Amino acid sequence: MPLPPLSRKLTAEDAAHLLRRTAFGATDAQIRALANRPAREVARDLLSFGDDRAPGNPFDPSSAATPGAGIQLTRAAWLFELLYGPHPLRELLALTWSNHFVIGTDKVRNVPMLAGYLGLLRRHAATTDFARFTLEVAQSPAMLRYLDNDQNRKGRPNENFSRELLELFTTGIGPYTETDVREGARALTGWTFDGGRGNQNFLQDARFVFRPGQHDTGRKTYLGQSGNLSGEDVIRIAAGHPATATFVARKLHRALVADGPDSAAVAASAETFRRTNGNIRAVLEELLASEHFYSRRAAIIRGPVAFLVGAVRTLGQPKLEAKQILALSQTAGRMGQLLLEPDTVKGWDGGREWINDTTLLLRMQVAASLTTGGTAPKLDAQPSDLALLGTERSPLAAVTGGLNPKQRLYLTLISPEFGLA
Amino acid sequence: MTVDRRDFLKYSALAVAATSGMPGFLARAAAQAASTPGTGGKTLVVIQLTGGNDGLNTLVPYSNGAYYAARPNIAIPKKDVLTLTDDLGMHPSLKPLMPLWESGHLAWMENVGYPNPNRSHFASMAIWHTADPTQAQAEGWIGQVAEKIGDPFCASNLGGTTPQALRASDFSLPSIDRVDGFQVRLPAGLDGAFERLLNLPREGEADYLGRAARQMVANTREVQANVAKYRPGAKYPEGRFGLNLQDAARLIAAGTGQRVLYVSLGGFDTHAGQRADQDELLATLASGLAAFQTDLEAQGLADRVIVMGFSEFGRRVAENASAGTDHGQGSVMFALGGGVKGGVHGDSPDLENLADGDIRYKQDFRGVYAGALTKWLGLDARDILRGDFAGPEWVA
Repeated sequence: MPLPPLSRKLTAEDAAHLLRRTAFGATDAQIRALANRPAREVARDLLSFGDDRAPGNPFDPSSAATPGAGIQLTRAAWLFELLYGPHPLRELLALTWSNHFVIGTDKVRNVPMLAGYLGLLRRHAATTDFARFTLEVAQSPAMLRYLDNDQNRKGRPNENFSRELLELFTTGIGPYTETDVREGARALTGWTFDGGRGNQNFLQDARFVFRPGQHDTGRKTYLGQSGNLSGEDVIRIAAGHPATATFVARKLHRALVADGPDSAAVAASAETFRRTNGNIRAVLEELLASEHFYSRRAAIIRGPVAFLVGAVRTLGQPKLEAKQILALSQTAGRMGQLLLEPDTVKGWDGGREWINDTTLLLRMQVAASLTTGGTAPKLDAQPSDLALLGTERSPLAAVTGGLNPKQRLYLTLISPEFGLA
Repeated sequence: MTVDRRDFLKYSALAVAATSGMPGFLARAAAQAASTPGTGGKTLVVIQLTGGNDGLNTLVPYSNGAYYAARPNIAIPKKDVLTLTDDLGMHPSLKPLMPLWESGHLAWMENVGYPNPNRSHFASMAIWHTADPTQAQAEGWIGQVAEKIGDPFCASNLGGTTPQALRASDFSLPSIDRVDGFQVRLPAGLDGAFERLLNLPREGEADYLGRAARQMVANTREVQANVAKYRPGAKYPEGRFGLNLQDAARLIAAGTGQRVLYVSLGGFDTHAGQRADQDELLATLASGLAAFQTDLEAQGLADRVIVMGFSEFGRRVAENASAGTDHGQGSVMFALGGGVKGGVHGDSPDLENLADGDIRYKQDFRGVYAGALTKWLGLDARDILRGDFAGPEWVA
């Protein structure tokens, strides 16, 4: 059974909810422009993003003098796109996929590899073919490097990628055995990359290569299928496994619906995933037009990036200096979400994990720097309650009455209500 | 400071509990603190080595030919090993810990693991965090310690994200990134409004965020009221791990009363080029812990603190083709401090009789935890570990 669609046309509060979830937040005008429209049509529009980018991005990673600078510039350039880009949902999905097909800048320190990986996440943000997406990720130099499959050779396997392919990228723990991990590693032997190795070559391009001499052509059995399986076969089998539909659907619900997803709703999305052979766009379109999506308000604790980007977008995207944006990308890291560097290959767990004493203090600092601080940006207009809190009337009115606009804005940004989406 | 602390707890925990349905253990805190003055005398510092530290290259079976046969490229040559016994020696990067070994205050626990080992980093780490190999529990073992003691501030993580070990039923214990920045600085004129904002009635996740913020305010006050007393007694190595350890020493010296502190060092997932990476990580570990110990001695606190270290699993006995190692099973744990009975506890690993290419575990990690809980913290380990677990006598 697909998820039942929302039958009413969007109210202003529905639209505010939708944009909190799919665009990190929005201004009053952006929200009201969606009111009175059918949910399906709005979802389809939101998902039809192009590949255009924010104009005037001041960060150019290819100009970096060192690998470390290249990584910092890559992060800042991405944050700029998140803050000012024309397609926040594309960037939000890329961020979600970067938390699924995890790589990390502790090991991937090559600028073109990172650019290639990010390009892939954007291109497949709402992919129509999850198996294809998985294959392209698996063959990206960033992933080959991060999970050591570039070292995986016939007779001398390196199991790192093979294990995480199953545990974290496709089926999740449960449907496979240690033998599947080993057989998968054999099938993936010979997949490596050329170029971009070594600290000196951090600006050099890298590209996937298959080395037949290092590939184990023998018979393998993987998730119940046997034959002279290739790496491509293994990716296809893992991505097409029934458990993958559920595992990936749950991730999407986790990103867009609730920190604690509803299992019946996840099952409905998984069924759509299976019926459409891994068409993520179809799954998302159904989800974002569903009654279920609109009934779960304030059910996601905003992560550091969502908090920062949400604040700036809700304030009407005031211009920040390049230096401030660089600093914000570092601050997101101190709040637990350094772009392209999750703590582990499992990615960020999110939800209540985002919240601790230190991260709460940092949220207060960021809010002050955007509102009451000396270098706070000038705003074109004072954001409405609908934009800030998703409701026409502020639940904080009793507390914020009598304060000046900057103070009111500061307290709203650090309120539990703003901290949720 | 005992009186201040009691007053503080009475004020913050009871006030919060009465108005907002704080978890039960926070409400019990005031009563507990008032009836047992002087709790907080002993501290356990837990060190997590994230990523699966290779135990065989940490505590090296240097007299065992099978070890060298399995690791032609990455074994620690006999001549480099820091000899501890006839069969075992430490990785050369651990040299800063030799004085502790010689004074009898460094312990190694051999072949530590758990039933039906899981090679997933995350499943395995969750097992160590919850002390539950069935993975049925969500609460951390240190979270349970906090519930048992009845004090929301009796354990803290030093670092950015709170590990599952510190999760209590409805709350995570504090994470302190840097002690220096651990204070609330409000823009002028907002004190009253901020307090009113946090005290608005809420439901669901908004209620959780409101409670977390109120607890944070209380925690920061507690820390800042005390930390100024600390004067460093050692030079810590540069980097995150050294900073976190120094902050741990600072909290202990300040008498903030935390019974368990938690520090992590990551990067042990050495699938390729292991020697370079692990050598450096173990050097960071050893120099940090040596400085921490020196500092505690300078503070006159060395007898009141012990350190217990673990990793989620060890690595395969045989190296892989990338001069690295893949995920294995059992591994070593270590402990150090004035209250630790030094030596090697347990037999050297049997490299002739492997389980699926890995050493077989002989000591359940919960037995090692039990030593710390019972003998060091004076708690009933059975309640926290959900069963009886015997372990080596590593706590003096």
